[in-house]
Amino acid sequence: MGSNVLVARLVMADIRRHRVQAVVLLLAVAAATATMALGLSLRGASGALYEQTRAATAGPDVVALSGDAGPAVTSALASLADAPEVVAHHGPYRIVYADLTTRDAASSVVVHGFAETPGTVNRPLVTSGRWVRPGGTVLERGFAAALGVGVGDRVTIAGRSYPVVGTAVTAATSVYPGAAQIGPYGGPVDYSGLAWMTRSDARALASSQDLPVTTALDLKLRDPAATDAFRDAHPDLAIRITFHSWQFRAEQDTVILRNSRPILVVGSWLLCFLAITGVAALAAGRAVEQTRRAGLLKAVGATPGLIAAALFAEYLALALAGDALGLVIARLAVPAVAAPTASRISDAAGLTGAAVATATALAVAVAVLSTLRPTLRAMRTATVTALTATAHRPRHRPWLTPLSALLPTPLLLGLRLTARRPGRAVLQACSTATTVIAIVALLTAHVQRERGYGLDGSSVLPNLRGEHDRRLILAVTILLIALAVVNTITFTWTTAMEARTNTAVARALGATPGQVSAGLSTAQLLPSLPGAIAGVPLGVGLLSFFAARNAAAPPPSLLLGAALATLLATAALTALPAYLASRRSVARTLSAETA
Amino acid sequence: MSSVAVRACGLVKTHGQGQSRVRAVDEVDLVVPRGQTLAVMGPSGCGKSTLLHLLGGLERPTDGEVWLAGRRIDTLGERALARMRRRSVGFVFQAFHLVEELSAAENVELPALLAGHSLRQARRRASLLLERFGLADRARHLPSQLSGGQRQRVAVARALANDPTVVLADEPTGNLDTAATLDMLRIFEGLRSAGQTLVIVTHDERVAATADRLVSMRDGMFVDDTRLAGSHPRGLGGLIGLED
Repeated sequence: MGSNVLVARLVMADIRRHRVQAVVLLLAVAAATATMALGLSLRGASGALYEQTRAATAGPDVVALSGDAGPAVTSALASLADAPEVVAHHGPYRIVYADLTTRDAASSVVVHGFAETPGTVNRPLVTSGRWVRPGGTVLERGFAAALGVGVGDRVTIAGRSYPVVGTAVTAATSVYPGAAQIGPYGGPVDYSGLAWMTRSDARALASSQDLPVTTALDLKLRDPAATDAFRDAHPDLAIRITFHSWQFRAEQDTVILRNSRPILVVGSWLLCFLAITGVAALAAGRAVEQTRRAGLLKAVGATPGLIAAALFAEYLALALAGDALGLVIARLAVPAVAAPTASRISDAAGLTGAAVATATALAVAVAVLSTLRPTLRAMRTATVTALTATAHRPRHRPWLTPLSALLPTPLLLGLRLTARRPGRAVLQACSTATTVIAIVALLTAHVQRERGYGLDGSSVLPNLRGEHDRRLILAVTILLIALAVVNTITFTWTTAMEARTNTAVARALGATPGQVSAGLSTAQLLPSLPGAIAGVPLGVGLLSFFAARNAAAPPPSLLLGAALATLLATAALTALPAYLASRRSVARTLSAETA
Repeated sequence: MSSVAVRACGLVKTHGQGQSRVRAVDEVDLVVPRGQTLAVMGPSGCGKSTLLHLLGGLERPTDGEVWLAGRRIDTLGERALARMRRRSVGFVFQAFHLVEELSAAENVELPALLAGHSLRQARRRASLLLERFGLADRARHLPSQLSGGQRQRVAVARALANDPTVVLADEPTGNLDTAATLDMLRIFEGLRSAGQTLVIVTHDERVAATADRLVSMRDGMFVDDTRLAGSHPRGLGGLIGLED
């Protein structure tokens, strides 16, 4: 009981005393867990959105599609409605292929001819305005959003002007721009939006310009899961019919998210790595203080287990708080991320249990990996040694002294400071490489040539999938850069604090504050240089796992420029902490060391 | 209950290896009866602090035995040593070694909480001790908000939190000014009068003069063991050249 109170008290007091570190840990973990939870939940979220839309719109279990129209087709499709597995149906109805133009954009559109009073199957959910009436059209919500039109606007379909009387969603077709399920005569399809009209208006539209027409029938089965069996049971119809099951439709919904998952999951691993390196650097910077505290706790009777519990509980509590924050952010963001179009009802998407568990395991891993070393050190250090703990003495490197003596003072100081903590130099290099990998991914995403969703591939209507991918890469890159910035500042400050006696001696021997400051910056730049260079091929290599075969690569000059810009940014970021550290009083530093 | 608070037999502690091997404590035998105040003096590096650490179980001897309240402690494991320290030993350090992020009261409550007492019990005990050492109005202050003397009084209060068998003080006045040293002498005098067993390592003869017994060390060995009168007719002020 008393020990628990003590651990809680030590944790709270330490968090209060090191608020900035606590906030950094919290936010770093939140960023990593939110990204991971989002990435892992996308598939489930997309399925949940489809399910909710299907339930709200009495979505068909099977849509039977014919590439033709006419009495024979209608008759063949209608015969399916009499099958014993079918409990309800809608149609057959006509699908007209046309062009739709607004003031700003033009797109292919498929027009479904529906009754003014929807039936029991495939009842599109009106999200604004009202359902179809003669002379007016209802646009599928995702299509309307992409066009930027709403109720009251006018659109031109195949040269005829129609008022938009409403917007609606349906589970009978794929999300925008996949409304055309098969092309005319069963041929290929273009990116198309969906519009509804009354049956008579659709018929009039088709006949006015002799537009291509296909026919569809929506079916509700006795056993909704038995869609494959239904298809297999009807192979010998008089005409060629394509069956689209609701499971196929749900799967199609995830196509637009095909790149989102790797972007988020790989991004979360990179974020996790930066979180661990950053928090480990912060923890290492406090290692002496932690060891001393462990020593005095031992002196008053704390067991090694209690010491470990107190040290670990703080990071675990912060990591779990960060995890909770990340999960809340992910929960709020998942509808938008899982539904880049507005074609589905988007309030059902949530996080899957597996995603929550994995993100929480990730948070615990960050806490464990970043505190393991200082915790073990604090536990293992003898009490008396711990009470008088000083910064870890670096190993003597006889080759370094004569080598660095040939260099200008800032480079000399930088090289020796880097050599003091080779492990930290590796982390700094990896941190820089991670940042460059993200920038390479961002640049690669921006040089891809995509077919727009407008008429004939026009980019007047942007490719939503590409846009979505770029937005996600940008968000992940911003988070990675933010963490890398914190890491660089932390590395510089920790290096400066650990080497303060040496730099004070150097200043006492005649080094200027500018030289010391430049030396501290150089100590970060030296490992950043190989990190930035390695980041380019690593980024290109990593992307090759996910990119399409015909994906365009950014020009080498652009990649080189990114690596160079990263180095310049690193130099700029190290300047302030290096400047502040180099201005510390030499006398005070040296007297504090000897006190 | 044993009448001997602390006993050491043939105590040896060596540091380093090979030619750089140093015997910090060399075949020391020591018996400290309950209620005695023992002062250990000697030049820097003679092994005084190491001896104190061995007696309190902070370090393990290379050879020999350490007994505390009739129980041998040099063979105990780390966990058992920790439990022994929290119940039987109170440490006072020259550098105070307070937990900087905890208030004075919370620092004093620390050993009681470690010993498994309830928060209420720990608070009551801490409150009594802080009151006793004139720190009741500083209970909620952080160590950084206290003077050196006040910090050392908090450290003494913390050392007494679990009513230990022995209080081991390592240069308790080493970082204090004259006035704070006088305060500390009064406190040690009060503890001695109350029958608290004290072992004080010090360079300061004024502190040593408050003891019942003075042991001098050199090169890790005892070179003198003197019984002092234990009373100070001139008062504490007289000891430091000030009249009370």
